[in-house]
Amino acid sequence: MKAFDYIRPNSLEEAGRYFAQGKSVKILGGGATLFLQLQNGELAPDIVMDVKDIPGFRDVRYHHNHGLKLGAAVNLQHLVTGLEIRRHYPLLNQTAHQLASPQIRNRATIGGTLAWASPVSELAASMLCYDAVCHTWRPEGARAIPIGELYLGDFKTALGPDELITHVHLPSFPVRTFGVYQRQTVRHDGRRMIAGAAALAVRKHNALTNWRIAVLGVDDRPKRMPEAEALLAGAPAEEDIEQALAAVQDNIHPQDVVYARADYRRTVLDSLLRRSIQAIIDNLQDYNA
Amino acid sequence: MKHEIRFIINGESRSLTVLSQQTLLEVLREDLGLTSPKHGCSTGECGACSVLLNGEVVNSCMVLAAEVDGADILTVEGLATDDELHPLQKSFIDHHGVQCGYCASGMLISAKALLNRTSRPHEEEIREALVGNLCRCGAYADIIKSIQVASRARR
Amino acid sequence: MISRKPHVIGKPFPLIEAQRKLTGVTCYAGDEKINPDMLHARILFSERPRARFWLRNLDAARNHPGVVALLTGRDVDGRMGHTVADRKLLAVDEALYAGQPLAVIAAETPEIAAEALALIQVDYEDLPATLSIEESLSPGAPAVHPDFMSYRGAEKLNAEPERNIAHALTFVRGDVDQGFAEADVILERTYTAAHLQHAPMETHGGVAQRQPDGSVTMWMHVQAPFLQRSIIAGALGMSPEKIRIITGCVGGSFGGKVFVSIEALLAAIALHTDGRPVRLLLTREEEFKGVFMAPAMRAHIKMGAKQDGRITAIEATYDWDVGASVDAAIFHLQAVTLAGTGPYAIPNVSVRTNAVYTNLLPAAPLRGLGVAQVHWAIEQHVAELAEILNMTALNLRQWNLVKGGDHLFPNFVMHASGLESCGVLAVDAIGWRPETPRPAEENAADASVRPGVGRGMALGWSPIILSDQCGSSVTIRFDRERLCDVVVDGVDIGQGLYAFVTQVISFELNIPVEWITVEPTDTANYAPDWEASYHNLLWSMGHALLRATGEMKKQILSYVAKVWGEPISNLDIVDGEVVSYASRRKLPLLSLLEEGMGEEKSPPSFSVTATYRPSNVDGSIDSLLQSFASTAYAAEVQVNPETGDLTILQLAAAADVGHALNPESVRAQIKGAMIQSVSFTLLEEMVFENGVPISTDFMKYPIATTADMPLQLHPIVVEVPQRSGPYGARDLSHHVQVGAAPAIANAIYRAVGVRIRDLPITAQRIYDALQEKRARESAVR
Repeated sequence: MKAFDYIRPNSLEEAGRYFAQGKSVKILGGGATLFLQLQNGELAPDIVMDVKDIPGFRDVRYHHNHGLKLGAAVNLQHLVTGLEIRRHYPLLNQTAHQLASPQIRNRATIGGTLAWASPVSELAASMLCYDAVCHTWRPEGARAIPIGELYLGDFKTALGPDELITHVHLPSFPVRTFGVYQRQTVRHDGRRMIAGAAALAVRKHNALTNWRIAVLGVDDRPKRMPEAEALLAGAPAEEDIEQALAAVQDNIHPQDVVYARADYRRTVLDSLLRRSIQAIIDNLQDYNA
Repeated sequence: MKHEIRFIINGESRSLTVLSQQTLLEVLREDLGLTSPKHGCSTGECGACSVLLNGEVVNSCMVLAAEVDGADILTVEGLATDDELHPLQKSFIDHHGVQCGYCASGMLISAKALLNRTSRPHEEEIREALVGNLCRCGAYADIIKSIQVASRARR
Repeated sequence: MISRKPHVIGKPFPLIEAQRKLTGVTCYAGDEKINPDMLHARILFSERPRARFWLRNLDAARNHPGVVALLTGRDVDGRMGHTVADRKLLAVDEALYAGQPLAVIAAETPEIAAEALALIQVDYEDLPATLSIEESLSPGAPAVHPDFMSYRGAEKLNAEPERNIAHALTFVRGDVDQGFAEADVILERTYTAAHLQHAPMETHGGVAQRQPDGSVTMWMHVQAPFLQRSIIAGALGMSPEKIRIITGCVGGSFGGKVFVSIEALLAAIALHTDGRPVRLLLTREEEFKGVFMAPAMRAHIKMGAKQDGRITAIEATYDWDVGASVDAAIFHLQAVTLAGTGPYAIPNVSVRTNAVYTNLLPAAPLRGLGVAQVHWAIEQHVAELAEILNMTALNLRQWNLVKGGDHLFPNFVMHASGLESCGVLAVDAIGWRPETPRPAEENAADASVRPGVGRGMALGWSPIILSDQCGSSVTIRFDRERLCDVVVDGVDIGQGLYAFVTQVISFELNIPVEWITVEPTDTANYAPDWEASYHNLLWSMGHALLRATGEMKKQILSYVAKVWGEPISNLDIVDGEVVSYASRRKLPLLSLLEEGMGEEKSPPSFSVTATYRPSNVDGSIDSLLQSFASTAYAAEVQVNPETGDLTILQLAAAADVGHALNPESVRAQIKGAMIQSVSFTLLEEMVFENGVPISTDFMKYPIATTADMPLQLHPIVVEVPQRSGPYGARDLSHHVQVGAAPAIANAIYRAVGVRIRDLPITAQRIYDALQEKRARESAVR
């Protein structure tokens, strides 16, 4: 790695001062992706800024009305073990179990993972289903970016060069929320993503409302599928599901990669999403029974 | 940039001067002579460099040495006591949980992290806990068995 | 100390090196001689498959502060090779493949070395290249080695350099035309297997140091230090005694650390520095793109059979893409030619294997020696043929199986083997009962199990061939300082060599294990022209050990017999004591070594060196062939018919090892090979883009993790003794790789009715085949 200065500010203001110096600054969360770029020489910043010590960055707060606030430097492992996640955000918890490896989950942070903006981000897909909002800070002030607007496709984000994610907010969800995530990867630990499908719905009386569908691996970013969600409202019949799946196919733009063709990714997504939706419906039936 | 760091390594307190860009792996191996963590890929894929950082398993090739100021670190050198091997080490020996041995340190560390939070893991949990540790000899089945037996013996 | 009983062959024995490996004490390549004064080497690799090139800015790199030496092909213009010198130490003017070394540099720190390398600008002018077997063999293809005939050793090969055939072997028995004429059914198919990587967890590297006398000492963790000594000496134009290689445990080789890749460059740069140790450690990316790959295969099989199930003829062509160098792959060709019919005694045979040059990374044999890929073709072919003949594949196999007494090759008669037992036990382990023949249409789907689930099996046979021109040598010294000190010329690559050596000596000399120390291998202990076996060590080292221990025992007993005045035949060693069955006298060996005995009070010391060298070295096709080892795999898989997604529910492997000397260790090796085979079968493929490897890390070249393991593994040990092998045993490393891929493919066929003939088996390939099948079926309707 090329030489750089490692700094660890204790406040946003201090962080801002480094941005103002005119030097190139890269933010270190858990380093899971930054290290790759430093090692292969893709990045050679003057400053590597570790944001873990900025107040609030490691906070996790849950309130049954206000929802969940996750500090940007909270690691992914917390999504596996955190009691509030396991209880109130089961889809996020289920997804987190499958993310990378314990080594990576212990280091990689929520802010860093979202800012990396991988087109196959499973974390983002799950966050999309929960209507998460990214809160950021830059010297001009703070702003809130809904997660669906954060991603501009192909690893690009709406974040400015001197903008930091401070925390992510997830609204509260009723206890009767079902979520299912399905994926197909070449290697079964999650490497080489072919496609992934997250589905979420809230049980109200004996029906399912608030359907959320998010897909990944089939476009330049993880995406919600509002057209399909609308078709699923209520208690979807088989033909509703078929129509929803067709709507998804109309709204995705998969790319060929070395290990999977675009048409294959479409087929796989269709199969995964069908299973995800069906699992939620089965869940409801189990619940009613 | 230079940093004075102080941390606990295998139960001993150490102070050291490191450069910003030095990784924890580099400092452990080249400066402290702790060579049980191995270089395998430097992309966080293989887990050969795994160490415990404040009780949690991490890839030491993806941690800056400057970051560990104040931390508690364990490598395989600190696993056995003076007169006794750690139950995991014994079990790996008895149950052929090692072939070429290059991944062994990382496997032991991941196993230790698992047993720190789950005293009697079942096979599925062990498989999950090891997905970040590659073994090209394919010794996974015996590694899993070694960990299972060690967890039973430990109580 | 003496309380511990000597070891008994066939009983569990822990791996001697295991404790050191598990306490972090074992030294690997990157752990050698860490010291702040050492220098650090880096290599500049070509980034084009074939190009003229110019290195610009060399002076800037050379004069970069901290750079100690820089070498290009103009400074050291050597050719390397063991049989044929078809590789250059460093390219001069023209690079033949992406990944070919162009320059090597030594500097004070790794960072300086990298900076200096970055200063060198390489200008390329692309030249016509050939990047696949098809391209290389097509008329008018550019010759990869137009000057082949001028290379040292070229005459030893059966080459047609203008057609890019680097070496070819053929084996003919009977008359295939006649055989096909007699056949009722003829089936012809093509099968392929991708380029693989050895991908050891420990990347290539080591430390080298120039000695005051102009020689070089190298600390390198390689599988074949003696072979490397000879190749490096040849490349640098030095005599072998000027090169000393000291090894220790190897962090995985799988064939990738047998032949010289970057090691000669390390020696060269060390010789051009100031005598400080020079360290070279490849990054993972360099390991993927700058060392070796395993050859890709294209097989064309034509098989004819009578309606009753007798196979009358086979015509098989195996083409291997060996990249830009055949030297390391020569030996591989012999193995695949011998195994080329699969384990079947077919009266009319024509097997041809071609090593084909391309402008890709050079190939080196991978564990299994290509025999696994041969079976990928044969064992699917047999299953398909059985279906056409309306019989079960199991029956067809049994009809035609090789049997003890079959005279297979000019100098080789098949011995008793566990081939059939392996098949029965593997199938049984996954709960598959031998079935009765059914009509063809039912054969396609496994009616007895759930939809999308299928079971398949494959047999395997694998020649045990010893390394060419090589042998094994053991020196045992018995004295008061070191007790039983052992020097061997083999290397522990994870197979448990040190444990094996200790086990045999303890058993044969009847002494406690604790007395025995096996020294790390050092080429300085042997004659400069000695070349040691580097695989199938159980066989060659085993024979050497039996000779050495026999001689040692005789020395000890005759010494004691002389003092006691008894005939040697009265004496034996029991639990570390010399005993006389006649006089009932006893003498602990320790007191013999400590105090001596009789008149001569000075304690004795004993020393024995024994070697084993195969006698059947005559250049014929079955030269060096010792035995055939058999295996069988059985698999139960589940396939998602919509997506082709595959899960291996059960995998069984039965291996006939002759005699399991260390049963748990044997089972561990079998399980390891099973998981590695699953990885090769489902995940691995070296991908090139315009001849440049793009599979350069573990994300782009995934290998199996714990998440990819079959849900159930059934390792099975079969023991049909090999009369000529040590203790009736035979080696297992290569042959346990054979049969996994076709067993899985056959299971997929029975699950969803499609055949995958290209490796690796990916979900997308299964999906494509299913789509094709659906299209075919709807066309018929």
